[in-house]
Amino acid sequence: MSVAVVLLALLGSVWLLAVVEGWTTTGRLRLTAPLLSGVAHLGRESIVPRTPDRLFFEAAPVLLLVVAVLAAAVLPLAPTLVIADMATGALFVNAALAYVLVALIMAGWGPNGAYAMIGGWRFLGQLIAYAMLIVMPITGVAMRAESLVTTVIVNSQDSVWNIVYQPLGLVLFIIAAMALAFRAPFDLPVAGGELGGGVDAEYTGVRLAVLRLARLTLVVTLALATTVFYLGGWHGPLLPPWAWSLIKTLAVAVSMLLAGRYLPRIREADLMRWCWTLGIPLALLNIIVVGILVLVVP
Amino acid sequence: MYAQAFFVAVFGLAAIGFGVWVFRTSSMVRSALALLFSQTAVGCMFLAMQTEFLGVLQIMMMATEMSIMAIFMVMFMMDPGGMGGMDMTHQKRFSIGAGVVAAGVAIAVAVLADWAPVSAEAPAAAMQTRELGRELLGRSMMIFETAGITILTAMIAATAAAIPVQTPAHSDEKENPE
Amino acid sequence: MTAVLIVALVTGAILFGIGVYGALSQTNLVMIMMGVELILAGALVNLVAFWRFLHPESYSGQMFVLVVMTVMALEMAVGFGVAIARFRSRGSVEMEEAEDLKG
Repeated sequence: MSVAVVLLALLGSVWLLAVVEGWTTTGRLRLTAPLLSGVAHLGRESIVPRTPDRLFFEAAPVLLLVVAVLAAAVLPLAPTLVIADMATGALFVNAALAYVLVALIMAGWGPNGAYAMIGGWRFLGQLIAYAMLIVMPITGVAMRAESLVTTVIVNSQDSVWNIVYQPLGLVLFIIAAMALAFRAPFDLPVAGGELGGGVDAEYTGVRLAVLRLARLTLVVTLALATTVFYLGGWHGPLLPPWAWSLIKTLAVAVSMLLAGRYLPRIREADLMRWCWTLGIPLALLNIIVVGILVLVVP
Repeated sequence: MYAQAFFVAVFGLAAIGFGVWVFRTSSMVRSALALLFSQTAVGCMFLAMQTEFLGVLQIMMMATEMSIMAIFMVMFMMDPGGMGGMDMTHQKRFSIGAGVVAAGVAIAVAVLADWAPVSAEAPAAAMQTRELGRELLGRSMMIFETAGITILTAMIAATAAAIPVQTPAHSDEKENPE
Repeated sequence: MTAVLIVALVTGAILFGIGVYGALSQTNLVMIMMGVELILAGALVNLVAFWRFLHPESYSGQMFVLVVMTVMALEMAVGFGVAIARFRSRGSVEMEEAEDLKG
């Protein structure tokens, strides 16, 4: 039951996100546009490049989608509305999202194209930049909750949300999440202007439809993770819990999209330098501050 | 119990199958990713054996580790795509013999040994995480800290080995143009 | 329950055997490291099985698994450092061409 509800919520959020994305790029608000373009993709020819690594080429979009859904499976929408309330939920989110890298390397290597391959390996460099900034802020969150269970993490923010308790962690986490989802300022693996689409370049038709769906699902999953870890999850007045979760998730996802539209694409070397020379020290500082707060504030 | 035996066996077979595939394919990226899925199957075996924290940790760590392995394979192999059909093995008969003997001895010990009473119940997953943390920062703290220092040492050693040597201008070594 | 333990131990043994074959038969340094990773994976399976079925009350077993995982990561980091240095100076990491490392 909760599986169906969560999947439906994910799908609905993806659809809304696609509508907003279309709105910001074309300036017209068309509710049916994502559905129509999805159907159009199904009808188009799905080209397979010459001498591909067929296995990787076929598996990559599906793996990306599965990984995004798996990560969402441990994140609660409401106190009981969670597919798997694992004892190591916060770690499992990391484990599932690590396979985004595997999917992108497959998608880069599979089609036997130069741009795609550069895009795939670029994401490996990007991972080395952002990986620590995903794990370390979550450490701070788990320290405050004294648990890795996601529902306990939400409950620990009953009085004060983590956005107030550890704002530094939130900022670092959102930046790292945008890099993980390869959204606009960090879209190095698919860079439209310089790589001709990167890992997207060789995908057409139904495979491209799955890939696009997977990317948007990944954004929704990461927004949901931000909500659960920092924005108090389902807590909020008046409205039912699931509504608060969805509202916060969509707000985070849309602000990720909008932030991407107004920022220039960052260089790979700059991303690496800023993440390691500034990001990781700040993440460590965040852990220390949270540790002090946990001990001092009752 | 039967369910547990079934899942351990299935993931074990998957781990072995991918493990064999590592050395049977000539495409280097396939080889590295086969190793990754073998390690992931090992992580799933941990989950099937109710060792949740270690299982999830194994699945998480290996994804990054083996992907990095893949790029090094592509960098260092003469034929990363495996299209040339090069044979990259030597002393094959000896290696197969050694592998079979090693596995055979270990299997014999596993089957013949008397594994006295086997406990049926594992501690709850949340309990395990908690107790492992107490173990890490209690009795085994010294070992844990040693592991940390070893990581630091290895990082420095690896970086020192990898950065190019700044040689004087008359060097006859092939230098990177950058 | 002994059956599950033996299934896990046999799996670990076979992984170990495959790893030994790989580490001995491959000519490329990176492929040899893959063999070593498989050997360590076999060891991990055995360690977890021993912890789960023989001593679930003692967490030193899990601790040991963590240390082995660290060793796996370190082996890769140092191995790749050496591989980069070797590739830069000799242009190859083939072990057949590494006769000069013999004393």
